[in-house]
Amino acid sequence: MNFPTLFRQFRVLTTALPMRQSALEAGRISQQSCCFPVVENRRWKSEDRRVLIQSMPIKDMGTQGEKQLDVDLVNISKENVYPDADTPNMLFDGVRFADLPICHIKASKNNTIMQVTNSLGVLIAYRSCGMDGFKNTRKGTNIAAQTTAVAISGVAKGKGVTTVRVKVQGLGPGRMSAVKGLQMAGIKVASVTDNTPISFTPPRPRKARRL
Amino acid sequence: MPNAARHVKFISRTVLVRNDNVDEAMRLLNRLMGREGLLDQYRRTRYYEKPYQVRRRVNYEKCQAIYNEDMQRKIQFIMRKNRVDPFPGCS
Repeated sequence: MNFPTLFRQFRVLTTALPMRQSALEAGRISQQSCCFPVVENRRWKSEDRRVLIQSMPIKDMGTQGEKQLDVDLVNISKENVYPDADTPNMLFDGVRFADLPICHIKASKNNTIMQVTNSLGVLIAYRSCGMDGFKNTRKGTNIAAQTTAVAISGVAKGKGVTTVRVKVQGLGPGRMSAVKGLQMAGIKVASVTDNTPISFTPPRPRKARRL
Repeated sequence: MPNAARHVKFISRTVLVRNDNVDEAMRLLNRLMGREGLLDQYRRTRYYEKPYQVRRRVNYEKCQAIYNEDMQRKIQFIMRKNRVDPFPGCS
């Protein structure tokens, strides 16, 4: 490879890689692999196998300069998102993750019920859309859920709760807005867990609705 | 709760929130659950599905899977690029 080619490829890399990064973040590109011109990325000290493989010169695919770039950039960017064995000991404002209070949200079709408990399950605050002045169909809306979340945040904050783990149950309209409401009211959300009871061998459900 | 009780709390079906970005965490969680078919299973078990409905649904899903696989292969073929020989069989 002569010098002008190398220089051109370097310019392509410097302009293209940030574009690719943003495209990956926006989810426009699939995560497995993608053709892209890259220059050889040499590292002399390799810590693990992935780095070693990355440091190998990449083979041309047909045309010169067109190379296959294996991307698990998505996984790299997501590496701190999923909990692991160390997560219970992570500190949030000086409190272990396992000792954080829990906010249970039950988002049913017609109502959203929220309760904040401590890590052992002792009740700190309880609130539902019905308690917040919404009646009948209006209980089952995302606005009602958000209002309830703000209300319960006030109560919980008064009792010294600042950071919570959130457990969501059910697929009602309040599922997302309740969690958002907690954050809006100034309570930090450490994690979101889904606790919806999903059975693959359920007892016979009620008969289908006839419309 | 048949499944939830058997799993470790706050490990399964859990997404940590980074940089106070709750919206993104929720969307990731929902997307994962949708991709695993959990949301479908939940919706399907709200009301009893009669055996004839199960048969029809399963058959439909089979056909759809076959169609999708074929179409995916065709699209992959059309979208393929960087061939060593750009016009195979024409030289």
